[in-house]
Amino acid sequence: MRKWQCTTCGDIYDEAIGDPDSGIAPGTRFEDIPDDWMCPTCGSTKDSFEPYTE
Amino acid sequence: MSETPIAKPHVLVIGAGHAGGALVGQLRQFGFAGRITLVGDEPHTPYHRPPLSKAWLKGETTTEKLALKPGSFYEEQHIGLRLGERVQAIEPDAHRVRFDDGTTLDYDWLVLATGARARQLPIPGVGHSNVLSLRNLADAERLRNALKVDRKVVIIGGGYIGLECAATARALGAEVTVVEHAPRLLARVASASIATFLQSEHEAQGVQFRLNTGIDAIEGEHAATAVRLSDGTRLPCDLVILGVGAEPAAELALAAGLACDDGVTVDADCRSSHPDIFAIGDMAKRPIPIYGRPIRLESVPGAGEQARRVAAVLCGREPSAPEVPWFWSDQYDLKLQIVGLIDTDATSVVRGDPASRSFAVFHVKDTRVVCVEAINSPPAFMAGKKLAASGKPVTPSELADSSADLKTIAA
Ligand SMILES: Cc1cc2nc3c(=O)[nH]c(=O)nc-3n(C[C@H](O)[C@H](O)[C@H](O)COP(=O)(O)OP(=O)(O)OC[C@H]3O[C@@H](n4cnc5c(N)ncnc54)[C@H](O)[C@@H]3O)c2cc1C
Ligand SMILES: [Zn+2]
Repeated sequence: MRKWQCTTCGDIYDEAIGDPDSGIAPGTRFEDIPDDWMCPTCGSTKDSFEPYTE
Repeated sequence: MSETPIAKPHVLVIGAGHAGGALVGQLRQFGFAGRITLVGDEPHTPYHRPPLSKAWLKGETTTEKLALKPGSFYEEQHIGLRLGERVQAIEPDAHRVRFDDGTTLDYDWLVLATGARARQLPIPGVGHSNVLSLRNLADAERLRNALKVDRKVVIIGGGYIGLECAATARALGAEVTVVEHAPRLLARVASASIATFLQSEHEAQGVQFRLNTGIDAIEGEHAATAVRLSDGTRLPCDLVILGVGAEPAAELALAAGLACDDGVTVDADCRSSHPDIFAIGDMAKRPIPIYGRPIRLESVPGAGEQARRVAAVLCGREPSAPEVPWFWSDQYDLKLQIVGLIDTDATSVVRGDPASRSFAVFHVKDTRVVCVEAINSPPAFMAGKKLAASGKPVTPSELADSSADLKTIAA
């Protein structure tokens, strides 16, 4: 499981957690999120995310 | 980028904030092979400012995590960093800037990204040590040290920063009063429905409001002990937060003779009145096609879009279509996302029930969505972003009908 970061607001999408509020189940790989998904914090589009390593 | 860049052309960026930070990364992403230097007077690499009033101030995230990019990024990308250094003057004809210590640096293209600074109030007592503004990490550190349980906090200004600080201060157990001289909150930047909704949410969390009220003075010998309001009331306090807006940091540009008018006047490509000097971010006033007039935005998405635009121009690439301005804020568990600017001539319709704490206000002008304010409602924001950009004709009634599918309406 990997993490991705929103370059606009810095939010982390953690594949292990998903984004249940937007119907993205825990364990969903970033690639498998629909293209019209948005950052739950700021509303940036999916292409604003980058791989994130701590 | 593994090859060492050639020395020319040299892009010099002044201001290592959101706009400057986004620009240098974007230039390399677009394949810019020349030299890049990023100068900033703060001691930090570019960092996310929005959490300074929210998650960071609450102690939910660390300073390290605020960085836009890891520290190694700049070296890997051959981006020269000069942090903790301040540019003191620009010499446009010589293509050169002068630092505080008198040394100079030549450039081929100069990008100004010096942002904005917190506005001060011309009232007695604003200089007291416990009267704090919030623009950068140093301000935020002072504020965090001062925000404690049971402290009496008076926040001057009911805009986004004031309200975000109010929410954070309540979460930390402080007593909070917000004083606003306009008759309502967020007067310039949100609709009355959203302002009313947010006010009642803050009241439910224990925040007190004094609207329609000015400030006569901040009292106290060395430190603020009370705020005296225009109606004569005295609000005792341990801390005052000034959230009365920001002013563009345009003095370098002004002194260099660039055209300025509430920020540096730039064209759609963010080029100033001098062809080799660009300005981006909070300091730039730029024409926005859908509004047909120049507007100075103060937002992270705005800074990012302008940075991408300049990067495209400097790399000779076709720039992407202009974005409709958008913004977000969060207070308590409320996520507010706005696309478009408030237009008082538009008709507004509410979709969803504010009592459910998930709803949106659509603003429609001549069948076109010009603005959407969404509270805890990403689908409405997403549809609004599409509609505002496409201009697809809509009717207020279909937007108000919660059973009508938004994706279909926006498609
Ligand atoms: C507390 C807070 C909360 C915010 N919340 C949100 C939010 O939720 N959503 C949103 O969209 N926006 C938000 N904003 C606004 C957003 O942070 C700004 O729009 C954004 O930072 C603008 O980027 P910028 O690069 O133009 O300016 P900045 O990020 O301010 O960067 C400018 C930099 O230039 C430096 N500088 C200035 N003069 C010189 C000089 N002469 N030499 C060298 N360096 C110089 C400054 O010190 C600063 O580091 C918030 C801002 C604050 C302060
Ligand atoms: Zn985001």
